[in-house]
Amino acid sequence: MEHIDSVVFGDNQFFGINHMSQEKAQQLSEQFYDINNIYKVYELAFDAGIRAVMLNSNDRAQIICEHFRNNISRYPSLNWYPSIPYPYKYANLVAEKGIFPAINEVLFKDNSARKVMVMITKGSAAVLTKDAVKMMQLLIDVEMKMFVGLNIKVVFLQNIITDLILGFGLGDIFDEYCQYIRKKYNAIPGLITQNMPFLKKRLEEWGIKDVVICSSYNKIGYLMSPDVDSYVKASNENNPDDYQLMAMSTLASGAITAKEAYNFINQQNIQSVVFGASSKRNIDETVSLIKISN
Amino acid sequence: MIKISIIGAGRMGITHYSIINSHPDVTVSAIADPSGLMLSMMKKYLNITTYKDYNDLFNKNCPDAVLVCTPPNLHHDILKKAAEKKIHVFVEKPYTTDFHKSKELARLFEDRGLVNQVGYVNRFNDVFSNVRLLVNDNVIGPVIRFKSEMFSGTVLKPDDGEGWRGSRKSGGGAVYEMASHAIDLINYLVGKPEKVIGSSLNFIYSKKVEDAVSSTFLYKNGSSGTIYINWSDESYRKPTNKIELFGTKGKILADQHSYKIFCNKENSKLGFRQGWNTRFITDLFQNVPFYVRGNEFTRQLYHFVDCIQNPGTKNVCSFRDGADAQEVIHKIFNDYATNGKAL
Repeated sequence: MEHIDSVVFGDNQFFGINHMSQEKAQQLSEQFYDINNIYKVYELAFDAGIRAVMLNSNDRAQIICEHFRNNISRYPSLNWYPSIPYPYKYANLVAEKGIFPAINEVLFKDNSARKVMVMITKGSAAVLTKDAVKMMQLLIDVEMKMFVGLNIKVVFLQNIITDLILGFGLGDIFDEYCQYIRKKYNAIPGLITQNMPFLKKRLEEWGIKDVVICSSYNKIGYLMSPDVDSYVKASNENNPDDYQLMAMSTLASGAITAKEAYNFINQQNIQSVVFGASSKRNIDETVSLIKISN
Repeated sequence: MIKISIIGAGRMGITHYSIINSHPDVTVSAIADPSGLMLSMMKKYLNITTYKDYNDLFNKNCPDAVLVCTPPNLHHDILKKAAEKKIHVFVEKPYTTDFHKSKELARLFEDRGLVNQVGYVNRFNDVFSNVRLLVNDNVIGPVIRFKSEMFSGTVLKPDDGEGWRGSRKSGGGAVYEMASHAIDLINYLVGKPEKVIGSSLNFIYSKKVEDAVSSTFLYKNGSSGTIYINWSDESYRKPTNKIELFGTKGKILADQHSYKIFCNKENSKLGFRQGWNTRFITDLFQNVPFYVRGNEFTRQLYHFVDCIQNPGTKNVCSFRDGADAQEVIHKIFNDYATNGKAL
């Protein structure tokens, strides 16, 4: 498997996401209301040597992708790590309309008439044959549309979807997802999870390899089911040729200092860290503290 | 092994299925849903027995327990049938749409020694369960005033009123679907109010059901508090619960992610200074064995299994608790019908 970047710049800070405090989340959302402030932070990250960006497929990400596509010459060469889908879009739609009407709306919204015709044909066929795989492929294409033209390295499935499928034990669906990402997007398939040890064990049982697994990874065990020890054990036993492991929530939403956090992370058998920050000081500090080789 | 079936394959049915399927002592034996498309997908990919009619599931599959995730107006009949068949039940909130039958149903399950639980998931949240301990330990003294609020951007477009969510009769609307959580949280932390006054409902986007509600709760001991719930508030990226409790010894502000406590005096036993103290979710969380949608969702279903495995375990959110929330909801609708309009 091609190596992934050891440091990836995340996006939670831009979209008013903070797992620890809603107040902090609101502050961030105000700070980045002006999208130019987001580009300025990206520049700080690039100045610190970061060349990889993780971005969730929400509405603002579309504008960000457009900006980077239109200004290629202004930036260094970057690797993109999209994560799909934007879960809240689906959560609200499904609550409002039900599962299948929600899928229909997502598939057919924002598409030209001609495209919709093609998709209806493909989509109805998917529904008629009860083909969840075809439906999934259509949904992936809808979510990935905004990233086309960028240099895509890994395509991640968001944890709410990964863990739902994991609970169902649907190995075939994971396998289809991975194959589709490799074939259609020429990228490495990635899975975000809050159950890394369990997911890794099941993927091994199903014979699904060459996948990037991204999970929370911090010394206090925040958002790490079932516990820290199981994570440490699973990563120690892992062969990075099979699964490259990426750590997120390394600071446990700010509960641990950066120094403490990376003292712990640097001792783990993990290949990459994704982190988000919005000040030069925090970005530079984090980059200097991460000492993992890949 | 406990044999569990699921009735209703909507969003909650699917989430609960994934979570409970991870429990080492549980096998998911069947699923019932009227949607043919959903069932054939389930059958094809999950290789599970499916029924269009829940009566067939009860008669042919004979599960030990069911998770009921249908529209709320169907709950009563399904639950009654389950009690007759001696099946333990976890039912999504709101527990019923008929207040008058809700107590009777609770008694039926109690008399038969069946585990009965309602999905008021906040009771299993790391922050709110800690706040309850503080209140019960009298850390802020008796609660004299409170505020329970919930906001989300769930309904942001005119709704045609079709489907079960569009009508109160079938359990739709912000009171049943969302305020019920805020009401139950008050019942859980402070107790059930004796009287409900000043209830108002707003129809923002939905035609036939309310999108916002506020109300005032009164208690015999002189305490009182308010609730305000709005699910058409676009400023919230995801559903948010906020609660404020004022007592003679201090005050607590809490949401799902943290609580702040103001102590009039230092509390060295609990490590609180005089003045403000903040505890974040990262200080309070306890991991669950398998995570899909938040620790509380796993914890509530594992608790249900625990109650089945260990008879006599007190359920954290029983049908009786569900009936209490239902009683308050009933009072809000009555109060609004009598006093809620300017003209």
